[in-house]
Formats: sequence, structure tokens, C-alpha cells
Amino acid sequence: MRIYVTGYGVISSIGENVEETLISLRSEKTGIRQGQKTYTERFKVGEIRWSNDELVERFSLTQHASRTALLGMIAAKEAFKGHELLADVKTGLISGTSVGGMDVSEIAYKDFLNGETDDLNVYRNHPSGTTSEQIAKELGIDGYVNTISTACSSAANSMMLGARMLLNGQLDRAVVGGTDGLSQFTISGFRSLMIFDDEWCRPFDETRKGLNLGEGAGFLVLETEETIQKTGKKPLAVLSGWSNASDAYHQTASSPEGLGATLSMKGALSIAGLKPEDIDYINAHGTATPNNDLSESHGIKNVFGNTVPPFSSTKAYTGHTLAASGGIEAVFGILALNNGSLLPNLNFSQAIEETGLTPVKNYSEGNDVKHILSNSFGFGGNNSTIILSKV
Amino acid sequence: MYFIQHIESITHQDSFQKENLWSILKPLEADHALISPDYKTYIPAAALRRLSTILRMGIAASKACQEKVALEFDSISVGTGLGCLTDTEKFLVTINTVSGDILSPTAFIQSTHNTISGQISLDLKNHAYNMTHTQNAVSFEVALMDAMLCVDEGKKSVLAGAADEAIPFLDRLRGSLIETTHPFTSGATFAVISSDKNQSIAHIRACQVIFSGDNPEAAVSAFLKARQTELTDSDLILEAGEQFASFGAKHHHFLDYSGYYQSASAFALHLAHDWFLENPEAKNALIINNQETGKLGLTLVSRNEA
Repeated sequence: MRIYVTGYGVISSIGENVEETLISLRSEKTGIRQGQKTYTERFKVGEIRWSNDELVERFSLTQHASRTALLGMIAAKEAFKGHELLADVKTGLISGTSVGGMDVSEIAYKDFLNGETDDLNVYRNHPSGTTSEQIAKELGIDGYVNTISTACSSAANSMMLGARMLLNGQLDRAVVGGTDGLSQFTISGFRSLMIFDDEWCRPFDETRKGLNLGEGAGFLVLETEETIQKTGKKPLAVLSGWSNASDAYHQTASSPEGLGATLSMKGALSIAGLKPEDIDYINAHGTATPNNDLSESHGIKNVFGNTVPPFSSTKAYTGHTLAASGGIEAVFGILALNNGSLLPNLNFSQAIEETGLTPVKNYSEGNDVKHILSNSFGFGGNNSTIILSKV
Repeated sequence: MYFIQHIESITHQDSFQKENLWSILKPLEADHALISPDYKTYIPAAALRRLSTILRMGIAASKACQEKVALEFDSISVGTGLGCLTDTEKFLVTINTVSGDILSPTAFIQSTHNTISGQISLDLKNHAYNMTHTQNAVSFEVALMDAMLCVDEGKKSVLAGAADEAIPFLDRLRGSLIETTHPFTSGATFAVISSDKNQSIAHIRACQVIFSGDNPEAAVSAFLKARQTELTDSDLILEAGEQFASFGAKHHHFLDYSGYYQSASAFALHLAHDWFLENPEAKNALIINNQETGKLGLTLVSRNEA
């Protein structure tokens, strides 16, 4: 049974919807710039320019909530646009997030620490699960709701769980993806790890120093063949493969040989029934940290040998959007499938000496792109891969 | 079938590595506290120092499970309501009080929800599917449903569990974020589930979450009816409240024993499992997790046929 993608929505620093996103991808325009908030102004980040209140107004949202929830609502609403709630189509929502409503609770908590009155109601927005319940409410979905929190692989894992629940008959349709708003907590956290690059990040480049953070959300609507008969939706792509494996090497670092990455890529190929040579483009995790890109390069070589397909990291467009990245990059993947695009790895100049892999350098269309493999790796050695295929 | 191969809990009861929870169970006393095992048995001393309560509980309970089953876990699914609160709060304090550019990353690293499942995989050198679910008070149920799905997909030794930890700050949120009169507590329960019966005595028949729970009685009836059973067939009802207390069967409010934490329904699963040890005639136990208004987690546990 095939799992079809029948809707997609995205918001990030390179666009507020699918259409704007494609324009930015085509024009090789990054969304990363010097931060505009007090806690981001020292860094280059892929920030969305609107405040929370502005987001509510601009996108006609019905709830005031945390940034993570609001961004999720925007992308999920775009994905679900034109879809109807039907009594005989069991619809669920699975969203991934790493920090949930931290962007608002950290402000209240700061007041508390300073001995000022903190608004206790703000903390209602804190739990990651609440962000998903708020997104579901915005769409009117009151069936199954769940939140995956596996750091930077969260969205990929949400898509995977949705597909599995569809195959198992627990759901007929699933809105799946991920969302993360920037917060001081996250910025300070990555600063404490000392993995920021003060300049524009350079994934898979020998001179890469670290990552730029970003924010956003990306969601897909998944339906079975049977559901499509009821909804009459036209499929945009097929979610053909997925896998999750544990690197079990270190809480934050990836194994040098890329074991978890290798396992997740191989697992996804196996579910899809594809061979490595069937993959036409890899959207790598490629955070631009020295550790990730080297480990992932080894993983890619383990799976693809000496014939590595065109690959790139799009993190230099959006920054690393953490739990949202897999969802945002799945939308990029579908755009690539339907336009025959190979997406460029911006800011690349010199291959990593140890692996010698050169990513896609320029945007192009009209290529024969049938199958795309997309990686998302998270803290805790949580490695996930999905494969998207042409309908 | 989803046979419970082994189950372990670390709670405010003396529950760890006990044959039968009902023989040690007592209402929480005024001076109740988490009853911790000797973690050094499970975690090297050097690592232990930097691990918060939730991580210690998660690692110890999982390792105790792994020791009791022959097969290495081929899937790990963990639920947590609020995640690693101690480290989250610690890092929030750090970023608001420490000036300068050097911040210790440990609390940040250990603040993400999937530190629990990640540490389990690290400690067991386990490369299998590794998932972390968080859905407020039904976090355990959504993790358990994933574990059952893994069994459906052919996995043979699935670890399913949940953990939550209390921090003093939670008391400030009573009535805003959390509606409960129970004391805030910590707890972890992990179980191994397999399609092979082996020596197990009970199995999970079904687990479901419901978010349109404006009529809990109708929802419970529909859940049971779909499994060809009804409320009056339940020998035991474990509920996060008293709404179903008058339905004939033996009824317990499980938060009276565990105290309040979001994933306490995992402890109820342990209670349900051990109920069959205690009561040779009992066949069905129903867990009704109605901790949060409008939301339901329902789990039906049955004794294995001889």
C-alpha cells in the first residue's frame, strides 16, 4: 500500500508558504542574517521577521500561543488547505518539537527569577504536547494527536509514525511534520555547546566551523490510496521509505563512522524497496558542524559507495530549524521531485579532505528526479531517514 | 497479541524489583519520597553524578527489564509528559544568572525529552528504533501505542515505558497548568512487550487515546464494545479519578498510590499486570486515564489464557 502526500505547508526564513519558498530556492537566496532579537543579535540566524502577535494577525490564527505552536499552525494550515474533515476519514495530527512553548515560558520564568510577578497562565503554553493540541485545534482535528520529541529528527519521526499508523489502519489521514520557534533557551544551549559559526554556515565544506540556527515549521498531509478515493485529493508525492536507528555513541556527538546514519539510510531504502542507485538526490542533514558533516559523509559513503548521488544540505538557506528541519526539508524534497530540481548547498567551496565529497553547487531544474532521500539526525544519536518518490 | 514479558517501576512506592506490587502498596504517607534503588548497580558512579532523577529512573528501570528478557530490545518507545524538568530549570537559571560567554552545556544537553530514550540506547549499546513521545497526560499511552505498532510490524522485544520527575516549581502551577489535589511526585515504569507469550501472565488487549472526550462514559463504552467487552466485565478499574467508581468492579484511584505525574498511567499498567498475580479469578483490568479534562487514555489488560 502506498502512502501519498496530498498537502504540504512550510514557513521558514526563506518564505512564508510553499510558493515563496520555491522562489527563494530557485534564486539561491538565504534567509540567514544577523539576528534581530536581543538574544539573537550577536548571531547569524534564520529568523522569521514577525513577532508572535504579528503572526497571529498576519495568518488569521484563532489562538494566541507560543511561537512553536503559531509557526506550526501556519504550516499545518497551508498543508491542510482544501482538505475537509470527514466523518469516515480518521484524521490524526503528529507534530515534532524540541522546545515546545519555551519562547514564552522562559520570559515568565525570568520574571520569576527576578522576583517579579510571573503570569502563571503563560506556562500553559509550555508543554510540547500542548503545542500539538493547539495546532490540531486550529485545524479542527480532534482524533489522535501526538508529539514526537527526538530533538532534530522530530519531524522526520512524526512523518514516519504517521505513515506507519496509516499502513496499520489506525488512521486514514495524518497531518505530520514539525515546528520549532527560536528561544533564548535554544540559542544559549547551542552557544554552550560552542557549535555556532559566527559567519554563514558552510555545510560539507572543509572550512566549516559550525551551524546557524533557524526557526520554522513544515507539515505534510498523508493519505492512503483508499482515503484518496474518498477525499479525491491529487497526490503530490509518495512517502515511500522511512527508518529510525540509534547511533548509541554519544549524547550529542555522532559516531565517526556514521553507524546510526548508515542504519537509518539502509532501513529506509529497505522499506521503500529501492537500491542505493535508485536515489537521485540526497537532502542531507548537513548542519555544518565539523562532527555531523564528517560522520554523515561517512554514512553516505557506507551506503552509496563510490557512486554518491547528487547531494546537498539546505541548512545554509534556512539555518538549522531543529525539530522542524525534517518537515521543512520534506517540502523542499517534494518541490525538487515535481520540478526536477537539484538544490544547492550554498556557501560551499572546498570538499572535506577526508571524504572528498562535493555537494550540488547550483540550483537546476529539469533533472530526472524520481526518488529523494532526506536525513534528519538528532541529539541522543537519533537518526532518521525518509524517502520521497514521484507519484 | 502484546504479551507483557516483564515490568519494572521506580516510584514513591517501594516498587522496584518487587514480585507483586499489591503486597507493598500503601496510600502515600505525609513524608513520602521517591524510593530509589541503588543506582550504582546500574549506572557507573562517574556518570551517575551528572544524571537527574528522571534519567536515573529511566536507565535503571530499562536495564532491570533488559536483564530479565532473553532478547535485546529491537525497539524502544518512551513517553514523558514534561520531560527532563530538573535540567531544563537548571539551564534556565544558568542563562539568566551566568554572565560571560562560557556556559556549562551539561544541563542543556540533558534537557531534551529524548535524553531518556537516548541514554537508554547509549547504556545498552542499542541501535534499534528509538522514539520519544510527549502528549501531556496521555504521553505513556501514545508511547505504548507505538510499541504495540512495533509488535504488529514484527518486532520481538519492545521496550515501552514512561518517566516524569517533579520539581518544586510545579507547585506554583497547581491550578493553572495542572489541575490536581495530589502531591507532585516522580516515577518511571518500563515494560517489555512481545508477540511471544513465553512466561507472561497478562497481555495488553488494546490502548487508545481520545481527544474529543466531552463524554467519557460513552467513549469508554465504545472502546470496550469494540473489543467485545463492557465495563461490568472489568474485574479491576484503575482510574485517575472517581468518575467510574460505581461501575461494580473493584476500583482504585491510581494517583492515590503514585501521586501526580503526567505519565502515572504507566504505573497503573504495572498495577493491572500484578492484579492477575493477586487475583487468580480476575480476567480483565481497565485503565482509565482521565487526568486531564477532555482527554482520555484507555488501556485494556487481560490475563493470558492458560
